[in-house]
Amino acid sequence: MKEAYMAILFFLFSFGVIAQNNTLFQHATESYNEGEYNKAIGFYEQILDNKQHSSELYFNLGNAHYKLGEIGPSIYYYEKALLLKPNDVEIKNNLSYANNMKLDAIDEMPETVLVSFYKTVVNYLSFEQWAYLAVGMIFLFVLGYIVYYFLYNATHKRISFIASVLGLVLAVISVIMAYFQYNEFQKDNPAIIFSREIAVTSEPNDRSERLFTLHEGTKVNVVEELGNWQKVKIADGQTGWLPSEHLKLLKKF
Amino acid sequence: MRKLLFRHIFFLIPLLIMGNFTHAQEQTDVTFEIKLSKEKLGVNERLRVEFTMNKDGDNFSPPDFQGFQVVMGPSQSISSSWINGKRSFAKSYTYILRPTKQGTFKLGQATIEIDGNTFKTVPKTIVITGAVDNPNAPKTADDVADESLHLVAEVSKANPYLNEAVTVVYKLYISPSISVTNFRPVDSPKYNNFWSQDIPVTKYNTNNGTYEGKPYRSVILKRVVLYPQKTGKLDIEPLSLDIYVDVPTNRRDFFGGKIYTQANKTVSAGRRTLNVLALPESGKPADFGGAVGEFDFSVSTSKTALNASESLQAVVEVSGKGNLKLFQLPEPDLPSALEVYEPEFDESVRTTISGMQGKVANNYTVVPSFRGKYPIPSISFSFFNPKTKKYTTINSDEITIDVMEGPTDATAITPISGGAAKIAVPTSKQFHFIKVTPNLTKIGVSYFFQSTRFYMLLFGPLFLIPIVILFRKKREKDAGNVEGNRLKKANRLARKYLSTAKKELGNEDNFYIALEKALHNYLKAKLKIETSEFSKEKITSLLSEKKVSEEHVEDFINLLKNCEMARYSPFTEVQMQQDYNKASEVISQIDKQL
Repeated sequence: MKEAYMAILFFLFSFGVIAQNNTLFQHATESYNEGEYNKAIGFYEQILDNKQHSSELYFNLGNAHYKLGEIGPSIYYYEKALLLKPNDVEIKNNLSYANNMKLDAIDEMPETVLVSFYKTVVNYLSFEQWAYLAVGMIFLFVLGYIVYYFLYNATHKRISFIASVLGLVLAVISVIMAYFQYNEFQKDNPAIIFSREIAVTSEPNDRSERLFTLHEGTKVNVVEELGNWQKVKIADGQTGWLPSEHLKLLKKF
Repeated sequence: MRKLLFRHIFFLIPLLIMGNFTHAQEQTDVTFEIKLSKEKLGVNERLRVEFTMNKDGDNFSPPDFQGFQVVMGPSQSISSSWINGKRSFAKSYTYILRPTKQGTFKLGQATIEIDGNTFKTVPKTIVITGAVDNPNAPKTADDVADESLHLVAEVSKANPYLNEAVTVVYKLYISPSISVTNFRPVDSPKYNNFWSQDIPVTKYNTNNGTYEGKPYRSVILKRVVLYPQKTGKLDIEPLSLDIYVDVPTNRRDFFGGKIYTQANKTVSAGRRTLNVLALPESGKPADFGGAVGEFDFSVSTSKTALNASESLQAVVEVSGKGNLKLFQLPEPDLPSALEVYEPEFDESVRTTISGMQGKVANNYTVVPSFRGKYPIPSISFSFFNPKTKKYTTINSDEITIDVMEGPTDATAITPISGGAAKIAVPTSKQFHFIKVTPNLTKIGVSYFFQSTRFYMLLFGPLFLIPIVILFRKKREKDAGNVEGNRLKKANRLARKYLSTAKKELGNEDNFYIALEKALHNYLKAKLKIETSEFSKEKITSLLSEKKVSEEHVEDFINLLKNCEMARYSPFTEVQMQQDYNKASEVISQIDKQL
């Protein structure tokens, strides 16, 4: 009996939170439309504090920060929104606006033909999509095999056999691709610089040589971590250390 | 002789009387001074000291001539003259002194009482050098010129900071007794380790002044502003001048005027050393670029809102007083998306005696190519103020440039996959509004890949294959069981062909039509014959050919006959049921034999 009460209470509570967040979202939209961007940001952050998020929420946060001219946060939230919805055209469009504000122009490291071919193939689909494809192909394989097994007509048998073999091969390839992509995804730990200007040093301490400076809004890849310092790699292949309070990790939700 | 004296007295009396009248007029202008024939002399020379006054006094007391022996004196002389009704009076006490030893001696004050007031002379310093060759020779023109010309370099500050303005003024002091006819610089100093700017003297103005207590005329010949570029002790090389002077001689011309002789003299200002202080290290800002002085700093743009591909000017400007030409202007951090051209340096600096003042500016031409907002962050400029001895940092205002019309950036970086590939974003002219549907989900990501569900869906279907194979095997085993199989097959055939007939069971007309059709269909399917060839004889022969037993052929024909008969005579429901059962049995039996 008691458990039942608890369950009902929990249900009501969670329902209440959702309803509350939706009203907060609505308030934020109104504030944004009025031009009170700081207020809107406050509402959005309350929703995040309530442990709820969405691509739309991050997109709106990015917009509000962009309107306030804050480079780092706006790029950060657009990138976050893109992580949840990688193919959203509106997010990409506004992100390009925000990217125009940043100070650093980093040349991308040139890639060999082989590497770029590998990346194009592996990144053609996300690992989730590869996984779904693999499952689909397995079904095709099984179906093809069974049909092959039961059919008597030679032409039909041939077609189903080819389909089943094709399904199996594609399934295996998809699983491999998904693994590669997943590894790549695990290795990739992007972060956005939040400080106006930060010197990147050769060692994780204050005494070492300053290699280069980065400015707010630049995207870096966190490779390693030591205490309060993080080793970052930028798009042109340079690496260095900087204190972790100067950047914010994108994949940390 | 006596007569002559009398005449003199006679002549003097009215003068004396008149003198008493003018007495009151000149009472205020009493002077009592000391005059030396030389201030520097050899120990074997003699010195004449004269105390003169322009009014008679009492109780003259000479100073203590320490270090000297009085050779002669005091000898008094009085002169009184009237010129244009003005009386001038001079009385002097003269001593001839001989120095007793070498060294520097001070002549103390002489006092006299004139009209009840005590007057004193200024003390004088005399340098006694070693014995000279020609002690009593008169001074040559060169000597006089030497004594009467002094070139002095006046330095505004002896201990300046690095890069702080120092002015050096070269002044020529000329004694009133000589006159300069011409001068020519022999050696212009090179100001090594200094940034120097000469401020040309266009007009030589004479000022009356004193040099070492004596009246002199002075002329400013050269003015230089120096900015030390090195710390430590720096020498300023001396300036040398060749000066042509006219020096009076003791000889007089026919009219009693002094005859002047020409003399040529090279004078140089002494070497000066500046002790340049380094700028303090404590509190030195990181962006300090060597600016010393008092400045104002600003960053401004000609426009803050414009269309893409229009240009705007961003100006980084420093104005004020100090070493304006000697430091680098800070560079603005402009967003990388803006096209920025090399800056145009603009300088309007005046150098005056107190140093450089004015402004220097860098004009950047900026052309935005894409729509958007571009913030120019504030930059800082630091300088050292030598007056307060502190560093000052000025931060410029943050400026946001709003580009209203134009294309957006055509490139963006893919977010997830390593960030390596650039993908084109459809150029949209608008900055999108926020999204209004929340679509909120719980924070926390769970991926399908590598989840249990993924593995189940991936490997689950594979188990279907053995299951299907097993199923098939079982069915083949069932095929061996003839009796069961026959029943099953009959049922299936009946289901296939007699389903319509079964539905019409009880409805006499329709049932038999359906039954007949079903039987014909069956034969059509099995024997592959055309409908036109459908007669009972044909069926019988065909079935016999296929080696169907006669009994069954007969049953089949009977059924067809029943169907025909049913059109003309009524059949009961029981008969219908019997015929249906018969039909299904016959079909299955024939099928087995075919």
